[in-house]
Amino acid sequence: MKITDASVYPYPYGDSSVRRMALEAKALGFDRLVAADTPSGEFYGIEIYSGILIRDTAVRDLICRIKRERNNEPVVSVQAGDNGFNRAVINLKGVHILRGLHSADKNAFDHVAAKMAADNRVAIDLDLSPLISGRGFTRQRAMHRYRDILVLERRFEFPITISSHARSILEMRAVREITGLCSLVGMDTADVEMALFGVDTITASPDPAVKVIR
Amino acid sequence: MSTRPPTLREKRRYLLVHIEPAGTIIDQKDLYYTVSDATTSLWGDVVAAVITSAVVASEGQYVIIRCQRGTEQDLSVVLSTITTCCDIPIALRMVAVSGTIDTLRDKIRRVTTPDLESPSPRECTFDKKLFQINQCNGQKVDAIEKGFKNTNRLFLTREDLEEL
Repeated sequence: MKITDASVYPYPYGDSSVRRMALEAKALGFDRLVAADTPSGEFYGIEIYSGILIRDTAVRDLICRIKRERNNEPVVSVQAGDNGFNRAVINLKGVHILRGLHSADKNAFDHVAAKMAADNRVAIDLDLSPLISGRGFTRQRAMHRYRDILVLERRFEFPITISSHARSILEMRAVREITGLCSLVGMDTADVEMALFGVDTITASPDPAVKVIR
Repeated sequence: MSTRPPTLREKRRYLLVHIEPAGTIIDQKDLYYTVSDATTSLWGDVVAAVITSAVVASEGQYVIIRCQRGTEQDLSVVLSTITTCCDIPIALRMVAVSGTIDTLRDKIRRVTTPDLESPSPRECTFDKKLFQINQCNGQKVDAIEKGFKNTNRLFLTREDLEEL
C-alpha cells in the first residue's frame, strides 16, 4: 500500500516538472503520484502513475477514449456531470475515478450511484483544492458535498481517493496537512489513511468470482 | 501595570514555519495579515479570537508564529490554506512546534540547509524558452522566464536541465 496523491498536473499544465514534483512529494511524505498526461516512471523513489482526466465528453466518446488508452494502462478519471451521466460512467469498464463532485449538481451522486461505485470499484475523488484555495461559499459547498459523500461511503464502502490537484509544488500539501484538512469534513486519521491508499484499491486486479480449489 | 505571575499568564505555543519558494521575501506584517485573514475565513471570528495568532519573528526563510496552547492543530490547518501573500504565491510548511522561541531559534540553526549555490550556467532553455536560473539548492532548480512580460517561474531539477 502506497500513499498516493491521486492527481497532480506537472509542466506544461503547471509550472513544475514531474521530477521536481516527485522530489517535493518525497519530502512531503508521499510514495506515489498520479500525474496527468505524463508517462509512468519512477523519480527519486517516487512512483509516477500516468493519469488522464476526461471531461465534457458524451458517454459514447468516453467509451472510445477509454478503449484507445487501454494499452497504456493509465489511471482514468472522469469529470462528474449530472446523475444519469455519473451512473453511466460508473458502469463503464476502465474508469477508475469519478472527480469533481464538489462542483456538480446537488443530486449528482446519490445512494444508487454510491452502490454502483462500490460494486464496480470506482473511486470517488475528494479534491482538496477548494478547501485549500477556496474561500467563503466555494469552500462551504465543497465541505458540505464531501460530508455527504462520506455518509454514503460509510454505508456502501466505495473507494475514496484524495488529490491535491496541484499545478505547482507550492500547491502540494504534506500528508499531515492533508489529515488536518480532511478533519474539516469529518474524516479521522484512519479514514484519511484509507483514502490515501485508494489508488491501490482501484488499480489492483479484482478478486476472481470463481476460485478453483484442487 | 504590573506583570502577571507566570501561573496566571496565557499559555502559548510557537510554530516554526518554512516559507517556500526559496528566495521569497515576505514582510512580517503582511504575513500576519494573511494568517489573520485565513484564520477568520476558515474558523470565523470566535475561534480566531481564541487562537490569537501573531508572527513574532522572522529569520531568513523561517518565521515563528505564536498561538494559544491547544490551538496548534487549528493554526496548522489554517497555514495549509494559505497560497498567496500580497499576490506572491507561497507555501507555508510547518517544521516544528515548541513552547519557547529559543528552542525554535536553536532548531533553525541546527537545520542544515545547503548553501544556495551560484548556478551555472546562469541561463538555460526549457521548452524552447529562455530562462534565467534563480535558485539552485541540491537537486532543485528554480528558473524565471526571461523577458518583460509574462515571465513565469518554473520549478525544475538538475536532471531536467541535463536533458535539454
